[in-house]
Amino acid sequence: MFTTQNLVSVAIAALLTAGLYAVMSYGLAIIYGVMKVINVSNAGFLMLGAFMTLMYSQWWHLDPVAGAVLNLLPFFGAGWLVYKLLVRRVVNSRSARPIASLLLLFALWLVIQNVALAIWGSEDQSIITAYTYKSLIVGGFRLPLTRLIVFAVALLALSLLHFVLGHTYIGKALRATVQDPQAALLVGIDTERISALAFGLGTALAGFAGGLLTLLFSFTPDFGGPFQLKSFTIIVLGGLENFAGVTVGAAILALAESFAVLFMRASLQNVIAYGLLVVALIVMPGGVAQLWSRIRS
Amino acid sequence: MQRLWTVAVLVFACAVPLILTTTGQPATPEIKIGAVLPLTGAFGASGNYFKQGYSMAIDDVNKAGGLQVGAAKYPITLIILDDSSDGTRSRSLVEKLVTDQHVNFLLGGYDTSLVQAQEVVPDQYKIPYVEGGGAASEIFKRGYKYIFGTLATIYDLAKITMDYLTVAADQYRLTKPLTIAVVWENTDHGKDYIEGVLDAVKARPDLFRIVLNQSFQLNGSDFSPLLQQVQASNATVFLSDAHLPDFITMHRQYLQAGLYHQFVSYGARGPDQRGRQALGAGADYLIAGLWWSPALKGAGSQVFADRYQREYHAIPDWFQALSYDTARVLLAGVKNAGTLDGPAVRDALAKIEFRNALIPGGVIRFGPNGQIAGSPYIMVQTLPGNTVRIIWPKKMPETFDAVLPMPKNQ
Repeated sequence: MFTTQNLVSVAIAALLTAGLYAVMSYGLAIIYGVMKVINVSNAGFLMLGAFMTLMYSQWWHLDPVAGAVLNLLPFFGAGWLVYKLLVRRVVNSRSARPIASLLLLFALWLVIQNVALAIWGSEDQSIITAYTYKSLIVGGFRLPLTRLIVFAVALLALSLLHFVLGHTYIGKALRATVQDPQAALLVGIDTERISALAFGLGTALAGFAGGLLTLLFSFTPDFGGPFQLKSFTIIVLGGLENFAGVTVGAAILALAESFAVLFMRASLQNVIAYGLLVVALIVMPGGVAQLWSRIRS
Repeated sequence: MQRLWTVAVLVFACAVPLILTTTGQPATPEIKIGAVLPLTGAFGASGNYFKQGYSMAIDDVNKAGGLQVGAAKYPITLIILDDSSDGTRSRSLVEKLVTDQHVNFLLGGYDTSLVQAQEVVPDQYKIPYVEGGGAASEIFKRGYKYIFGTLATIYDLAKITMDYLTVAADQYRLTKPLTIAVVWENTDHGKDYIEGVLDAVKARPDLFRIVLNQSFQLNGSDFSPLLQQVQASNATVFLSDAHLPDFITMHRQYLQAGLYHQFVSYGARGPDQRGRQALGAGADYLIAGLWWSPALKGAGSQVFADRYQREYHAIPDWFQALSYDTARVLLAGVKNAGTLDGPAVRDALAKIEFRNALIPGGVIRFGPNGQIAGSPYIMVQTLPGNTVRIIWPKKMPETFDAVLPMPKNQ
């Protein structure tokens, strides 16, 4: 039943999905890299990003892409505040165990979810634009316009992020803190400020991704949970603290999910994400980055 | 002296509740009806519709001074708890309604999976339970005696869809043989649907050919890989059995991928107000099998639709109408029994013939397994301008011709 054309079509669709997966996972990777904190509340901010984009659309008829960009600043501020008011107290406390931050952020996710429920109710919401149902035919392949836009915007955002991380003082300080927080402190980097910045940046990316997701999905206050699992798989596949690995992890997951449906029931699609997570944790805990360095050596 | 005063005040404070209890009015006799619904979570929207339908039916009775049971008239208290669309929580909350709240009777939850979680409790405590939110026949195969369902089965939904397709193939000159891509949620609901489709295909191998038969996860987040397979199958007909959240996600992605089929049906989805708002013009021309629609011209349906619009400022869907009917059937069963005794009300429900129901045909009676007898379905098509038209059965006066094959580029 599957011709070469079909297989190429599946591969293209998977790569377009990978762009979205990468942008929603980067925030998690940055926060984990700097603080070794698993930000479970990321799903809450992702959902909030979608609802804020809906609000901009209703108030000012703003396009979801512009809404996603507009989310960056307030979500950065929100993340900064969450770090200063809550996370810092748990992470920096000597008596606190690692589970404390996990529970704190899980509770925060539930609070965000319930506040959203009180404001917007439990019904499915969606944004329909003039191009929501449009598609382009490129080289004989039909490509949904929304997926192309999300992919292009995600790629642009990730390129910008790579530039900031690689070529600015803040980016270098952030990477130094990821590699060795003690050494970073010794060379004069304000790791406390970097941590707040990382949390703000991670939250901003969640809000941004949430805005982009409105182009593809309808959403409720429960939105975000299923994507969170995928993000965990991606950052584990990518090597947890390896930002470039996130992109590779996203591509692996998207390709595996798409091609697996050709050979197994689509109802088992989640098994792919769970399965990859288990395999990555056991076989290559350092992710693709570790695998790559092994191959090279 | 001050100490004496303190003691006196304390004694008085303790005595007041005692005095009030012994000399006050006796507790008003009432009927307590409990329901556990998904007011939040994946099925939150549908759960809230059920709450509205139940409340409307109970309000009717209370406004009339209560329910006549034997010689006495009882006011009714409706207690609704939220299970957050979680099966385990749903079951324990139903038990809590029985043991802590001492409800006399139970109304069902929504959807099939949550009704299945709840249905263990009623027989345990011999409390009649009437539901209108679970239609999988599996619910009624477990031998429970206290469960009654007002929804016709999903198996019948698939059969009537295929019956209609048989007629439509000739009437609208669809490309024959009809090649069908069918996807179904991996639950008892979905299994009922695919069984109905496959039985119909077996009966007419000259007309139908299945080119894709795939299951998917309930409450899925991304159906793109599945839809890639649908596209590759080159079918002329696309059938999907999906609940409201999955329908919205799947059909949005279907349209984004530029898919087209001559005939598209998502089971009972399409005409839902929520789905239409979420999909806009994308929901136009879909075909659905329904238990009720505001397009039904019966006097009862029109009165209900008008009243609902006045109270909730929205157009009702089958959720509200069926939950309204479900609560009315339970109340009629209690009235017929003439007692609040669980087993007696159960027996009254088993032989009830409830007339003036909103569903097509207007009569609700139960089969030996507790599920509604017959298959009161109508086929409808959604049209531009938030219009829903009945297209089948042909014998109904409000039936119109369908727009088939589906127009392209909508």
